[in-house]
Amino acid sequence: MDNDLVKLMVQGVWADANPNAESQVVLLQDEDKSATLPIWVGIAEGTAIRLAVEGIAPPRPLSHDLLRNLTEHLGLKVSKVVVTDLKSNTYFASIYLSSPQSEVTIDSRPSDAIALALRTRSPIYATREVLSKQPPETVDPWLKRLHSKESGGTA
Amino acid sequence: MTQMEVRGLMFDPYTNAYIVILRDDGNTEMLPIWVGKPEAHAISRAIEGTPEERPMTHDLMKTVLDTADAKVISVVVTDLKENTYYAKIHLSYGDSEYSVDSRPSDAIALALRAQAPIFVTDEVLQKQSTEQFDRWLENLKPEDFGKYEA
Repeated sequence: MDNDLVKLMVQGVWADANPNAESQVVLLQDEDKSATLPIWVGIAEGTAIRLAVEGIAPPRPLSHDLLRNLTEHLGLKVSKVVVTDLKSNTYFASIYLSSPQSEVTIDSRPSDAIALALRTRSPIYATREVLSKQPPETVDPWLKRLHSKESGGTA
Repeated sequence: MTQMEVRGLMFDPYTNAYIVILRDDGNTEMLPIWVGKPEAHAISRAIEGTPEERPMTHDLMKTVLDTADAKVISVVVTDLKENTYYAKIHLSYGDSEYSVDSRPSDAIALALRAQAPIFVTDEVLQKQSTEQFDRWLENLKPEDFGKYEA
């Protein structure tokens, strides 16, 4: 595996500290909990991620269920998703799609990439560069919340 | 089946949801569909043609289809059961055609991005209960009009 990539797991989706914020926070960590990546996402994307984490299948397909179904119908496999960059507070991600013929990479918001990866059981990575670029003040409060476990990973 | 177009998007304060208004060319048929806020946003961005800085979920769906050289032939609102509308997305891919189950909101948001026609079956047009819509219209103030017009 590429040494520049760190495999991460979704730890949960939290409400933003600001109750008026129209966003939620997805927390990702590597296996030995030495790297933490909080990503701010919209409420719809946060819900899509939370349902997948909790294994809840909604009665009608939500947007990301449809995205997975389209991918499957077209014979495409999500080989991995990677959080690739952080520029002016915006995270960027790539979805690696493979068909029997080729592999293509498509640009995505991390929220869509993660919501899709969880539905296709595909691994989620971040580049070491992104992990090191994060200012500590954005990570530390979430580390504390993770350790206190008071929020239990629900929004 | 009747071909319909998205003619407007309105906010319904009673259900705190948005209503997508579909109408046919001759204005003889109308179908209001209640959708969530993110789906309404996805539809309104496509109507307005405002490019997003980052790809939104339905833009990503379109990119996935383009990647596989798949085309959206049409989307069809196929059924109405217990106040829930059902839709199908018809795709052509290679030599085959597929139909994928979808909520109408996702199907419409994708159709607008793929410039694919939107149809509603006659059964749905007959079945639709306009009760909820009539009640909402009765309570509508004149100034509410125009705000969300497509």
